[in-house]
Amino acid sequence: MNTQINIESRQRTQAASSSLQVRGLSLRLDGRVVLRDVTLQLPATGITTLIGPSGAGKTSLLRCLNGLLEHWQGEVRIAGKDTRQWPGGWDALRRHVGLLGQKPCVFPLSIRANVVFGIQGFWRRRRAAARVEHYLRQAALWDEVAERLQQPAQRLSIGQQQRLCLARALAVKPRMLLLDEPTASLDPTSKHLIERSIGRLANELPVLWVTHDLEQARRLGGQVVFMCEGRIIEQGASEAFFRRPQRLESREFINWQVCDCGGPS
Amino acid sequence: MTRGHWSKLLIALLALPALLLPAASLGYILWRAGPVLDWAFVSSADEGMGFGVASGILPQLTGSLLLAFSACLLAAPVALGCALYYQLCAGTGRRGILLILLQMLQGIPPIVFGLAGLLIFVYLLDWGVSLASGAVVLAGVVLPLLTVNVIDALQRLPTHYSESARSLGLRDGELIMRVWLPMAWPGILTGLLLAMARALSETAPILFTATVFSGAGWPDSIFEPVTTLQTHVFYLAQEAADEQAVATAWGSAAVLVGVVLIFALLAQCLRRMSGSRSD
Ligand SMILES: Nc1ncnc2c1ncn2[C@@H]1O[C@H](COP(=O)(O)OP(=O)(O)OP(=O)(O)O)[C@@H](O)[C@H]1O
Ligand SMILES: [Mg+2]
Repeated sequence: MNTQINIESRQRTQAASSSLQVRGLSLRLDGRVVLRDVTLQLPATGITTLIGPSGAGKTSLLRCLNGLLEHWQGEVRIAGKDTRQWPGGWDALRRHVGLLGQKPCVFPLSIRANVVFGIQGFWRRRRAAARVEHYLRQAALWDEVAERLQQPAQRLSIGQQQRLCLARALAVKPRMLLLDEPTASLDPTSKHLIERSIGRLANELPVLWVTHDLEQARRLGGQVVFMCEGRIIEQGASEAFFRRPQRLESREFINWQVCDCGGPS
Repeated sequence: MTRGHWSKLLIALLALPALLLPAASLGYILWRAGPVLDWAFVSSADEGMGFGVASGILPQLTGSLLLAFSACLLAAPVALGCALYYQLCAGTGRRGILLILLQMLQGIPPIVFGLAGLLIFVYLLDWGVSLASGAVVLAGVVLPLLTVNVIDALQRLPTHYSESARSLGLRDGELIMRVWLPMAWPGILTGLLLAMARALSETAPILFTATVFSGAGWPDSIFEPVTTLQTHVFYLAQEAADEQAVATAWGSAAVLVGVVLIFALLAQCLRRMSGSRSD
């Protein structure tokens, strides 16, 4: 009995210091198992990169964490609170946990209106217009659109749209960020700018960053989580993971990528 | 001739009635209506006690439009509510139930609506034969069509817009007001125009509930009867012996077809425009 309480209290203190706790998360979509028994912890701050082959279930995992997908089994705790019993429901959870989708999707509105789109309340959106520059700078987009904030956002290039979506997600002031390949269609310069600005944000909040770019994963440091076929295969500090991956799957994955890039092996 | 030619010819032959029939009937109506059809016919009212046999059809035209418009006005909020409900319960069994109910409603013959309306609104609620009774009954008739069209308009919105809005934490109400309605309004308006066309061409539901043969002009209140083009044609056609009445009937029919066509064509134009815009 006593030990039981001890274990529970230890688990609770762990939960408090870690921002996100996933236990036994499983997901089926159209009868196919997409996630199997995913267990994961994110530290209170800092970037965690999520890597894995295409179709591994990275996007699906992010969508479960943010509540876009509601029908999964298992338990997700954010800041110690069960997301199924989140005060204010799924909508409030989604404002707490910002998700940047894999495909950029801007609304057929002006650039400015897109940045403030997620802010609740007409007047608060109006007032937030003053901070549009701040969010666009965080997303490394300000210099390109400063002169044309009133123009339709759909005229932007794909890479620009992706950064606009990042600015839009940041404008809601989430307490946790889930980024699904935020720099997939960007040039090296914008990539570095975004890595820097998210890195700054990560001093205050936890960031889960999906990427196919192993160089980037290495650069970002922090933790690495490797996923394959809906399972988490390996998880550890970035440096150690890339130097000496423990599992066969991760070793193969890393080596293939290095060979593909033609880089040093 | 090769086999390809033969099959093409066969298909053309089979399709011919579909092309010829509307053109021929439209031509025939216009030919019969020709003698009476002029601006005065459309813009003048019933003079004296001719029971509308030999005079203009302005009251009938306005009556038809008024009735159809009121019916759509009544049906629109209900249809919108149903469609939004349908969209919001994605992935649940309730969607299927709603669709089945709509199909059942669509399967009820309009004359049954007319009878029910007569019993409930005209007698039971004592609204009398009136614009109000007719509009409510007609609203019931166009409701399934309108709902299906609004659902279609909402379904054609790309899902990634809804998803992005949801992932930003928008509530259902905000999603509707800030994403669905602003983006789907052309489709919704198309549905309304089609419902107008449908309401204008329905006769059975309003025959006992809203219309009198003649002598009714612009109603002073919603509890007064109107006269409509549809029922005007119906009454006049019964006077087959009177040549003047038959000519007026054809004239009224031509005007009715014209008005319905205008709404249907407007709907088509809007659908084209909104279709090309979203690409
Ligand atoms: N809506 C859906 N319905 C059915 N299956 C789905 C659905 N969405 C994703 N899947 C399946 O789930 C699996 C994981 O998909 P997911 O998008 O999470 O992969 P991913 O790791 O993000 O891949 P990528 O790196 O290519 O983006 C895939 O096999 C996919 O076919
Ligand atoms: Mg993905």
